[in-house]
Amino acid sequence: MRLALAGINHHTAPVQLREKLAFRVEDLPAALLQAQARGAKEALILSTCNRVEIAATLNENIPAETLLEGLLAGRDDISPDLLRPHLYLYEEAAAIRHLFRVASSLDSMIVGEPQILGQLKQAYAVARDEGAIGTILEAVLSRAFSVAKRIRSETEIGQSAVSVSYAAVELAREIFGSLNKKRVLIVGAGKMSEATARHLLRAGAAEILITNRTQQRAEELAGLFHGEVIPYELFPQRLGDADILISSSAAPGYLLTRDLIRTAIEARRNQPMFLVDIAVPRNIDPAVNDLEHAFLYDIDDLQRLSERNLQTRREIAEQAEAIVDEEVARLEARLRVRDVAPTIVSLQEELEALRKDVLSRYRPRLGSLTADQEEVLDALTRGIINKVAHGPISELRRQAADAQRNAVPLQEGEFVSVVRRMFRLRDR
Amino acid sequence: MSVLWLRTAAALYFCGLVYALVYLFRKRTRLFNPALIAFAAGTVFHLVSLVELHAETGHLPLNNFYETSSLCAFLIAVFFLGAYSYYRISIFSVCLFPLVFFMTLIGATEFPVASWSSQQVRSIWLTIHIATVLIGYASLVFSAVASLYYLLQERQLKRKSVSPSANRLPPLATLDRVITQSMNTGFVFITIGTVTGVVWAFIESGTRWIAEPQIGFFLFTWVFYLAMIFLRVSAGWRGRRIAWLAVSVLGCSIITWATHFGLGNLVSR
Repeated sequence: MRLALAGINHHTAPVQLREKLAFRVEDLPAALLQAQARGAKEALILSTCNRVEIAATLNENIPAETLLEGLLAGRDDISPDLLRPHLYLYEEAAAIRHLFRVASSLDSMIVGEPQILGQLKQAYAVARDEGAIGTILEAVLSRAFSVAKRIRSETEIGQSAVSVSYAAVELAREIFGSLNKKRVLIVGAGKMSEATARHLLRAGAAEILITNRTQQRAEELAGLFHGEVIPYELFPQRLGDADILISSSAAPGYLLTRDLIRTAIEARRNQPMFLVDIAVPRNIDPAVNDLEHAFLYDIDDLQRLSERNLQTRREIAEQAEAIVDEEVARLEARLRVRDVAPTIVSLQEELEALRKDVLSRYRPRLGSLTADQEEVLDALTRGIINKVAHGPISELRRQAADAQRNAVPLQEGEFVSVVRRMFRLRDR
Repeated sequence: MSVLWLRTAAALYFCGLVYALVYLFRKRTRLFNPALIAFAAGTVFHLVSLVELHAETGHLPLNNFYETSSLCAFLIAVFFLGAYSYYRISIFSVCLFPLVFFMTLIGATEFPVASWSSQQVRSIWLTIHIATVLIGYASLVFSAVASLYYLLQERQLKRKSVSPSANRLPPLATLDRVITQSMNTGFVFITIGTVTGVVWAFIESGTRWIAEPQIGFFLFTWVFYLAMIFLRVSAGWRGRRIAWLAVSVLGCSIITWATHFGLGNLVSR
């Protein structure tokens, strides 16, 4: 069994591809089942605006490339060849490292942004509910969550984190100067838009209008910000009211077309309009940016923007990487000992059963014995099996430790299986 | 006598000009109704003057540039009042009030008046003319510079090459406000400068002034400027287009300036 991970993210693939590959939450269970059907013992799919990845444990004979098929299961419109140049594949320690880095936001578009941990936890919850999480992923993910926590408390990654929403606020200031009296329209009430709305309000925005396909979620958000809810069918008519528009709807295709925005700008008498598209797939037609007075930024643009003042965050990230290194080594060691541990335990149990069996057969012939003699007999037999077991057990431990020291995967099936065969250990 | 009525009409039209200038700064001004009444009264006096001129000369007042200008102004005024009484659209007044006033003013300079009452008045008048025109130009230059910044900032934002932490250019909306305000201020001063200039030229050079090229350029620049202000106010033009217009108006003004000093001499030679 080995851990493998495959995926694409904002470093390797453009938004056009990411939006194609992104999973809707309701499609995740089916995809997890597919992955399991293709030979994954355990599986987890993480799909956010910036990344789509699958982590799984595979048997030795299944190539990691299989994961790619898992990602594409049920999507006839994307060919594996289209995806392959953008794909990364990690195994074992590299996969653990990657998951740790993702969880602690070191691999995020905007390093240090806090949302990714929640997204990973959610992906974990979905996989667990589908029964796709076993001992290895459980160990890796629960460790990943605590590594993320540790990095957040031991480095300043959180304080310096400039989220996408913050970049959006900065840009709004470049256009409007003060955000006083500015109206914000939120299309699609997700976590990201919530964070952005909060930033904008803090920066002085006057009013928040919210529209969402499910009215209830819009009302929740409106309650949070004292905003106004606009029925989803009616929002195109209110576009002209928005100085700033944040779109993060899960709608497929372009929700906001060039014509819609042009009409809105005319209704605003050519007052500028700032549009932020944080949805993947994108909600706003990129041609909107060609309209005068419309300034459209998608998630990639916001990233490029915030990369420029990333220098200090990079330094903090280096400290964080050191923590990741340490934690990866620690978890690997634990997982390796776990690899040999079942064999050691069953060897001990097997010998103990043998001892009890033989003892119960010969004990009646000895007649009555004092308590002391009974104790000696017990110690004698126990001593013999311990001596017999000592050689193989210490060799197993040594091999596990060697593998860890040399950072090579434990050659399962060699020494371990020899021991199992020699002592006729049953698979447990 | 007809000239007197025409000058009365011009004076009444002047109220319209004042309204248009005030409107640029205070959109909610209540001056429209008084200005409209004055303008309508001006049109009546204008009619009286035209009728009288016709009675004096026995033909339609289309003899020369002045008369044509005056008649044309009268027709514009009548069209405006007609359209207003039917559609109640007041926004045209911002453009037409100043235009009618100027054309009537030009028409009223057909008959030369006596020269300056004193040398002092003449020099004060000239000072006012030059000072207002210069203030107007200064505002216009300011507006054009802000426009260039606007175009740069807009380009950066469109190309997504702006970096908020390093960018020294002011926000787009601020630049837009600066352009508007300096443009409006410039318009007020250049308008005053134009009125004083026309009157000055008229008194100094009699009826010959209209043929001088620098005056022609000056009036052309002013009309261009007026058109820009009108597009801004009525059609909601802003941003890139207004920025380009501001730069063009400045270009025109530079030509006007050149005609005063260089071209003017060349032409008169």
